[in-house]
Amino acid sequence: MVTALRQAVELVLSGDHLLADIIEVTLRMSLSSSILALVLGVPLGTLLAFCSFRGRQALVVLNRTLMGLPPVVCGLICYMLFSGVGPFRHLRLMYTVRLMVIAQVLLITPLIIGNMETYAQRIAPTVRETAQGLGLPRRRAFLLLMNECRYQIFSTYLFGFSRAIAEVGAVSMVGGAIAYKTNVMTTAIMNYTNMGNFTLGVALGIILLAMSLVLNLAVSLMQGRLSG
Amino acid sequence: MRLLPFTKTYQGKTVLDFPGMELPAGQVCAVIGANGGGKSTLAKIVSGALPPDGGGAVLDGPCRVGYMPQHSYPFRMTVRRNLLLNADGGADSRRRAEELLERLEIGHLADRQAHRLSGGETARMALARLLMRDYGLLVLDEPTAAMDIQSTALAEELVTQYRARTGCAVLWVTHSLGQARRVADSALFLYRGQAAEQGPAAKLLTDPETAQLRQFLEFYGA
Repeated sequence: MVTALRQAVELVLSGDHLLADIIEVTLRMSLSSSILALVLGVPLGTLLAFCSFRGRQALVVLNRTLMGLPPVVCGLICYMLFSGVGPFRHLRLMYTVRLMVIAQVLLITPLIIGNMETYAQRIAPTVRETAQGLGLPRRRAFLLLMNECRYQIFSTYLFGFSRAIAEVGAVSMVGGAIAYKTNVMTTAIMNYTNMGNFTLGVALGIILLAMSLVLNLAVSLMQGRLSG
Repeated sequence: MRLLPFTKTYQGKTVLDFPGMELPAGQVCAVIGANGGGKSTLAKIVSGALPPDGGGAVLDGPCRVGYMPQHSYPFRMTVRRNLLLNADGGADSRRRAEELLERLEIGHLADRQAHRLSGGETARMALARLLMRDYGLLVLDEPTAAMDIQSTALAEELVTQYRARTGCAVLWVTHSLGQARRVADSALFLYRGQAAEQGPAAKLLTDPETAQLRQFLEFYGA
């Protein structure tokens, strides 16, 4: 274990090409999918908390169900849709980072919606009532609620990113873990471990944790600066 | 102005059966009653925050309604920006915001974040924010509940001058009989969701007709 750890650190410091490519693909996929999921999920989650309409509770329950969607099932759905026999085969997205991002967005967006809905629901009635009492239009009241949730958006993003970077089931199914193309850290760790190459596996694990730490620190700093 | 009759039912139970009432322009009607009497429900429905049973209109004719809920929300921005939310943002609005803050003695808090204010300061900020515009009807749900005596006096004076200037009618929900006497021209006593008694405030608060109101006045130290 100690030897593997020492060799891993040496590998990280050596600037290995394969390692650099895995890191690049991982970052590209995780950042794209988590940002896309955030852009979709934050307004939808806040809207779900803000609006009261028939069927709202059913939508909340549906979203909570999707929050528990197993990644391999998500991967399977994407596989069936985009593989050679699927309706979207002409898009030729199988075994590309794009399809990995799509699968990740499908997995993470419900989590972001659920997170935002739970938080916004606590303050939405008071915000709505206050805004209405001032005669502000509903659109303005909604934007005010979004503004009230802005600190929550940071932690929600971290949650989404952590899920994206740590996910293995869906991305291995639709990405295929092809070296220099779709191999990301989690799939690489799995593959190298299966091959007995613990050094690279441990190195990737260290980098995965370090990246998560850096992002968490950056977001915490931004959050702290904004709350002033 | 006339408030139309309506009812409000929750889970099969009628929590408010309101018979309607006249609300003359420039006058204050105090809504009094014990907890659970339906005061806040009345305020929410009249202000449009809550629909009555059937969802019909509760005001006889168009009217701009301003409403201060029992728990007004201090938006995460400065006190000044909170006030300017309810204005067009011009020089007049900024001047008016400064004036209202000074009148309620929170001018020194104008650049403070509103969500960091104390309960009493938040209530003063919320009242100032509401009074940035002119309304036909002002609905205040216990606006001074979190304020001390001095702030309460300032708020009462401000609302009195506001309604004299704008000629708006005011529906003022209060737990304080002293406040009802000081600010109201008429009063409405709600008892278990029913309008048990209504009339001129001076008469209602000194010479009640119903046993329920008499008991309420005795209990609350009239």
